[in-house]
Amino acid sequence: MAIESINGCIGCEECIKSCPTDVIRLDPKTKKAVITFPEDCQICHLCRLYCPVDAITLTPEKTIPVIVSWG
Amino acid sequence: MGLVMQKERKIFKLLSLGVAFIGLPLLLWFLGDFPKRTLLMDSLSLLTILAFSLLLAQFFLARTNRGLVKKVKMSYVLKIHKLIGYVFISVIMLHPFFIILPKFFDDAVSPMDAFIRLITTFDTIGLVLGMLAYTVMLVIMVTSFFRFKLHLKYKTWRTFHAYLTVVFIVAATWHVITLGRHINSAFTMFYVIAVASGIFYLLRTYLVKQPTQKTIKNV
Amino acid sequence: MSSSKENKSISRRNFIALAGGAAGAVALASMGLPMGWAENSPEVDVEALGLDKFSTDVLVIGSGMAGLFAAVKAHDAGAKVMMVSKGRLGSSGQTPFAKGIFAYDHSNEKLSIDEFVAKVSRSAMGSNNEVYTRQMAEHSMARVNELKSWGFFDSAVYHKSFSKPIEERNIPVQERIVVTHLIKEDEKIVGAAGFSTNEQKVIIYEAKSVILCTGAGGFKPNGFPIGDLTHDGTIMAYNIGAKVTGKEWNDGHPGKSENAAASYDGWGNMFEQKPSTVSIEVHHDLGVDLNYMAYTSGNPVKMGGPGSENKTTVSGGPYTPAEFDRKNAQQNQGPQSEEGRPPRGGSKPPGGGKPPKEGGGPPGMDGDRVGGSSAGMAIHKSEGLVPINDQCESNIPGLYAAGDALGSYMSGGIYTQIGSSLAGSAVQGGVAGKAAAKYCKQVGNIKISDPKINEIQEEILAPLKREAGYSPAYVTQTLQGIMIPNFILYIKKESLMKGALAYIEELRDHHMGMLRAANFHELRLAHETANMIVSAEMKLKASLMRKESRCSHYRLDYPEMDNENWQAWINIFKGEDGSMQFEKQPFGQWPNEGVDII
Repeated sequence: MAIESINGCIGCEECIKSCPTDVIRLDPKTKKAVITFPEDCQICHLCRLYCPVDAITLTPEKTIPVIVSWG
Repeated sequence: MGLVMQKERKIFKLLSLGVAFIGLPLLLWFLGDFPKRTLLMDSLSLLTILAFSLLLAQFFLARTNRGLVKKVKMSYVLKIHKLIGYVFISVIMLHPFFIILPKFFDDAVSPMDAFIRLITTFDTIGLVLGMLAYTVMLVIMVTSFFRFKLHLKYKTWRTFHAYLTVVFIVAATWHVITLGRHINSAFTMFYVIAVASGIFYLLRTYLVKQPTQKTIKNV
Repeated sequence: MSSSKENKSISRRNFIALAGGAAGAVALASMGLPMGWAENSPEVDVEALGLDKFSTDVLVIGSGMAGLFAAVKAHDAGAKVMMVSKGRLGSSGQTPFAKGIFAYDHSNEKLSIDEFVAKVSRSAMGSNNEVYTRQMAEHSMARVNELKSWGFFDSAVYHKSFSKPIEERNIPVQERIVVTHLIKEDEKIVGAAGFSTNEQKVIIYEAKSVILCTGAGGFKPNGFPIGDLTHDGTIMAYNIGAKVTGKEWNDGHPGKSENAAASYDGWGNMFEQKPSTVSIEVHHDLGVDLNYMAYTSGNPVKMGGPGSENKTTVSGGPYTPAEFDRKNAQQNQGPQSEEGRPPRGGSKPPGGGKPPKEGGGPPGMDGDRVGGSSAGMAIHKSEGLVPINDQCESNIPGLYAAGDALGSYMSGGIYTQIGSSLAGSAVQGGVAGKAAAKYCKQVGNIKISDPKINEIQEEILAPLKREAGYSPAYVTQTLQGIMIPNFILYIKKESLMKGALAYIEELRDHHMGMLRAANFHELRLAHETANMIVSAEMKLKASLMRKESRCSHYRLDYPEMDNENWQAWINIFKGEDGSMQFEKQPFGQWPNEGVDII
């Protein structure tokens, strides 16, 4: 769902800082970015665009039900 | 004809090494279920993985591998050792640049900024080890290339080369295991086993006095 | 995720019993729905949390386009400035997704500024504030040139170019700070308070002046990148007595029916494009017309691709002045036009004669659409603090707002000039920054009293201290279920809005004060959820009050424009007794004084 995985993270924290909805946090032990609150991901791809090593994979799907006006 | 036969036999003898250090990582890659990227990036990743794996194979493409040296002539083993060394160290030398390659194809963070970010992130031990390994690797390559200009005794050089290799491979493997994009428990096991047995071979050769060892001049 | 943690709690079992048996609860859980009421098991030691205090002249809250210029211009006018942001400089709010910026070029435009303002006013049907429309046009080129010199147009991501002027001036920036309170003492602003998600502590800011650059807001809708915008600035200001406006207008963006939540995919590769400038192009882009079409003729609403015929014609519905009716022109537009997707101002690709380099606007415009992708958000610059003059000043001395946090009606109750949203934020940021710096010079040192600090600290941390409560995610989803359906906010009628209001008042009275948080992420969600509830109440009440249809406000029961009674904006403020009060402010006048704007 949404932000799916982080592979090859170097721990620079660019994604953590640039996520508008606080989805990603730094693991204090491994010093790597961890997807912590995926349910709040708005699939805006800022994390991926800011990542210097192209480590982030996103998909358009979201597993929680999506409320829309009509559809 | 005879020459070809001989070559084929040699290749056959090297087959087990090929399976272990080319076949196995390829298999682990396909079983690994890693996120797909562009063909270019996936090819470069695979190339980097194979390069690292083949550098691990170098432990077994040297005097340390007594069995192989018996079967195949030492000069031939050394030829392969040199070829793999120069080619794949070059690949590894380039891999930090492979990583930022996607930044050339979008308008977000510039490749230069990405590269600076990459080499100035000292918070993770993996990156520091990577840079250490990179430096040692360069020293290994340069000293190998200019071996004769160093005017060292062969044995001194060989010991220097061997121990430097140990430093390199330990730092590099640690770096790969902590930071690798394509790392999972299978790859980790593969690398650890390869490194452990490689170092074991090496130490056995260098620390245990070989009764049958002959004095060999520069090969 | 949070639901697994709650699995163990006894109260969840009680909830399951209430919710209609285990089967129902399993179904809910399998859908990933957060469970509502549960025990709270805080992951942080609330009693051991620290407190930081900072002092400055001008505190800029928010780090988008408005915040950038507010900080820079306040600094350049001689004030000591500090910037705080819930996100990151250049990477929070709607700014990172805005790719078109309007620049009025004196030498190239055919229309004079007077003519431009007049055209916007015709499209806005009088609902714009001409002073702010003109100010935006007059200052836009200067701001764009400054942006150019910082490298803004060289990259699709803005953190680097935004950092340049901030670093050159040594302006301190604190990121990932959730500001929850504005502080007023002796009838003037004295600072703000909030918490840091990184350092897990409460932070108090003593400031002579505060500029809210907190952007717009919504109900965390799916398909639009405004999940971090929950009208925080507006609600904080309302809570200390500021007047706010614009709650009845609607941004009516639809989303794609396939993967409706994917903001990035809904816009093609637009988020990855470098920004560019836009010249005069005044529209009357409703958005709400699509909602009306879906309402009357059902789904699916197909968006025509280039050259496709718009077969569905519905009678009635929201009114577009003939001059700005694009229905006929639409057929002829090329792939780079914004057809099929009502513009969202600054962030839309430059339309018309200025195709973006990457081969046009968002692809994938054909196909089924769903509504409500920007639900809870009003037209840019219409919703926010009521300005008392052209200096972005609010009715609370020392409190300023700029950009989407200011109800300047730069555009009116409808989106008019494309790319003016981003330009307007830059311009207003600059104006507010300068004005706030000037204001600071006549204010003595600020000291916030300890009892006040303690009181606010308690309020900030309350959700962490609750032993049990509603999860913010659950309350947010409930709110979305009430507010997002087409027949509440888009196609409005009294009975349904009153029905929705009853639900929202219930959330306000019995959920807002019982939100729980186990960590600082949830603490942020709890405060955001509370802000959304208050904003929903404002939206429903303002929409009920405006008994006419105009621009993006469409009442099915009052479909006509009522010029006799409604040449007026609606201001909302907190009464003496804490209740929500409403007043009309005639178009063309500043509040209360009866003073004409021009």
